[in-house]
Amino acid sequence: MTIAAETAPDPRREPFQPSDGRWITLGLGAALLIALGLPLVVALLWSFMDPATGWFAPDILPPSYAMDHWQWAAGNDSIVKALGLSLFIGVCVTVLTGILALPTAYALAKLPFRMKRAVELFVLAPLIVPGIIVAIGIGTIFFRLDLVFTIPGVILVQTVGTLPFMVRVLAATIEAIPNDLINAARTLGAGPLMVARHLLIPLAWPGFIAGGLLTFVASFEEFEKTFIIGSPFVQTLPVILWTYLGGRVMIFPTAAVVTFILLAPMLVIFFLAERVLRDDVMASGMGKL
Amino acid sequence: MIRRLPHGLVATLLVLPAGGYLALFFGLPLVLALLGSFGIYTRGDDGGFTLRHYADLFGTQAYRDGLMFSSYLAIVPTVVSLAISLPLAVALGQTFPGRRLFNALYKVPLVVPGIVAAFIVMTLFDRGGMAARVLAPFGLDLPKLVRDDWAIGVVIATAWKAVPFMTLIIGGSLGSIPKDVLSAARTLGAGPWAVFLRIKLPLALPGITAAFLLTFIGGMGSFAVPNLLGPVYPLPLSVHMYVNAFERNNWGLVAAMGTVLSLISVAVLLLYYRATRSLRSAYGGEHR
Repeated sequence: MTIAAETAPDPRREPFQPSDGRWITLGLGAALLIALGLPLVVALLWSFMDPATGWFAPDILPPSYAMDHWQWAAGNDSIVKALGLSLFIGVCVTVLTGILALPTAYALAKLPFRMKRAVELFVLAPLIVPGIIVAIGIGTIFFRLDLVFTIPGVILVQTVGTLPFMVRVLAATIEAIPNDLINAARTLGAGPLMVARHLLIPLAWPGFIAGGLLTFVASFEEFEKTFIIGSPFVQTLPVILWTYLGGRVMIFPTAAVVTFILLAPMLVIFFLAERVLRDDVMASGMGKL
Repeated sequence: MIRRLPHGLVATLLVLPAGGYLALFFGLPLVLALLGSFGIYTRGDDGGFTLRHYADLFGTQAYRDGLMFSSYLAIVPTVVSLAISLPLAVALGQTFPGRRLFNALYKVPLVVPGIVAAFIVMTLFDRGGMAARVLAPFGLDLPKLVRDDWAIGVVIATAWKAVPFMTLIIGGSLGSIPKDVLSAARTLGAGPWAVFLRIKLPLALPGITAAFLLTFIGGMGSFAVPNLLGPVYPLPLSVHMYVNAFERNNWGLVAAMGTVLSLISVAVLLLYYRATRSLRSAYGGEHR
């Protein structure tokens, strides 16, 4: 009898029912269009601006379109070189980060040792110190090692920023590998290197993919550390974009073209990653400290 | 035959690659900065122990204002982003048509570099930008939003990048709450708002505070975006650091500024640990 009373319809209308779904869709769709679609369309229009007519204040749309700025970028040595350099640095940082992170991630995930919590905190620490402090601090050491203004210097400084996340993601993935599996392999005579090669790395592969993609993205879009250690001799795409935006004369169409050259690889990776990355991987890397 | 190394040695060797790397390229520079801020081993000046650099930092109006402004750039965009991210994370957790698509698209700003975000804000909100052009026919005039005194342009650009980041982390924390707990609360008579305020929010708080902390620190140290969109005065401490390091060669002062900013980060981190620990003991169960 009490059951009947409890299941009686509540006179108040409750929020978040399935029938509210289309309102959520509508609201989110509008927000996404304004916050994401519109800015990208405006930037795209700027990149196709016709230098002969310009695009001035009252006009919502440019009076005419031209490919001039795209052709300029394709023929511009420094931009093409910067794209190549950004990709190269991204790959190096990703490989270096992966190699450095794996053993430490394994130790943190599987081995009990003294001061483990302290090591865990120390590995995470670069996340909580602003990048500019890290960069200027390393700069003073790199001056003595002749690493400032060099590509290796930029790779090394970017790795400081990407390591914590990679260790985090790999440790979470390795933690999920059953101990029995590792013990069985060891009992059957596999050495540590064999275990790493045939068991750990294959089974931790999703972690490598997730951490690697995000490391590459982080490296490709990194500005502050690269700028301080590398500029003006190491010109990655973000550094080039900075020179177009921060100078005395702002060059919107040029900046728009560089923006899309910078964004294109990011968006490709992003939609590839969307297929392999689960949200909880990302959240496991950052959700707790 | 398996040769066994002592356990502690194995662990040490395994920790060494990432741990040693960070000790060398992260720990050592920070220690050197700390020493340098007191005039010990300072680059280009080895006069021995001094508090001169801190006196300089706290005695100069521009640097004091810079410190305040850096704190402002840490707090305001983070609070704005949180106010947007929390409802967004809740909404994205519901079932609605097109959920998969939204779940993919809202994360796009995560891969957009900060400088691009700054450029986008310029094209939209600078004088004669798209927003002004669209509003002009209605007789509406936008206030100054780029290089303005309240750094609204910086707040917009920073929040634009931070909202997906916070939403992702908060959504992850909300999603990891066991469904049984929510069902139990509903069965025991809690309405949707009570469930949200008294179950979901407290259980997701570790994620929420982590997202808050990381965004806070990002804003406090940000250099490129305030440089492009921020006011001429005050300049954030990060920009003062850059100018003093590379244009004035005043490394002791730079080290003092870096130390103060790092100390604020550490203080906020300790607050975070206290907050999550007291929550854990208050609500139990959540052992992370």
